[in-house]
Amino acid sequence: MARMIDLHLHSELSDDSRAPVEAYLKWLARKRDERPLDGIVLTEHRQFDSHSDYRQLEDKYGMLILKASEVETEYGHVLVYGVNDDMLKRFDFSNVRLRAQELIDEVAGMGGVAMPCHPGRPTIGLIEHYEHRPPLEGVVGVEALNGGSKKGENERVAELIDSYGYHAFGGSDAHLVSFVGICATEFEKNITNTEELVDALRTGGYRPVDFRVRRTPVQNNA
Amino acid sequence: MAFDFDRSILGQVFDETDFPPITKDDILKFAEALGETNPLYTDEEAAAQGPYGGLVAPPTFVTRLRPQKMTPEHMPRFGKVGFDGGRDLESFTPVRPGDVLKMVSTIHDIYEKTGRSGSMYFIVLRNEITNQNGEKVAVVDHRIVQR
Repeated sequence: MARMIDLHLHSELSDDSRAPVEAYLKWLARKRDERPLDGIVLTEHRQFDSHSDYRQLEDKYGMLILKASEVETEYGHVLVYGVNDDMLKRFDFSNVRLRAQELIDEVAGMGGVAMPCHPGRPTIGLIEHYEHRPPLEGVVGVEALNGGSKKGENERVAELIDSYGYHAFGGSDAHLVSFVGICATEFEKNITNTEELVDALRTGGYRPVDFRVRRTPVQNNA
Repeated sequence: MAFDFDRSILGQVFDETDFPPITKDDILKFAEALGETNPLYTDEEAAAQGPYGGLVAPPTFVTRLRPQKMTPEHMPRFGKVGFDGGRDLESFTPVRPGDVLKMVSTIHDIYEKTGRSGSMYFIVLRNEITNQNGEKVAVVDHRIVQR
């Protein structure tokens, strides 16, 4: 069962990450006081990992480990939760020009949920595209807190959420072991599998949580 | 720019390079340049007592090997500029003094991704290195980014 989950991170299966899944779990075990996570969702770039079986690691570390995907569309990057064979037949996840509206509509119809991530980023975030394209229909939530965003990128998301009434969630977007869990999502209900995660993401009852350490600036008393 | 290329080029060998025998001095100089202190790479007598029974090269030693052709003659181009996207190295059998290494180079993969600054195209050149016994020594994937 999990309530505090990092919904966005990449393992060594992604082309730009070198982090083994077990290394993430070891790090979270060491950092439990700072980042009290119950689960992670692996969101590999432009693919879905149909093969890896993490049940032994779940038992060993007492963590929920789920799998999803981060795909690329003309509205920016989108996280797809609840990926199944129907989606993989319908969409080529390696295509960086997926049509966002088709993805959102059809993923929902196939039992999943597609949610834009890091919407405040230039080029690959939703906000920039909303400036010159019509808003997408059927978006239930966006990643309001992304651990890989630069200063100002997360701050741009509040207005988007206010304007469109989106749910807000958080994820670390970790590509390196030490970044796992710096941002996460707290759910009101326990999550035990992908179906429950998709159901919760669709209906609400969650919030982004920031576990990044805020260091006090050094005072110059001279 | 449309992402389109002849997929038959993937896996095609564009270079085979045979290297002269690796000397003990090659290994010691490389280790010294890295600032290595591990006796497996720096001390022949101590290394003889170690797990390999003799001096071996640090795993990154193979990155000093240069093929005759760094890139294929008909390298696909997807943008105006290109830059080094780094290397992934997987080591297998260690390199020892006297080894005669061979490198076979192929275009392993080509893919596109989008980032803050727009589209990028990655060409992965794979260099597979074997020794005189046919044992796999290392696989080095060299990424070239074009945009």
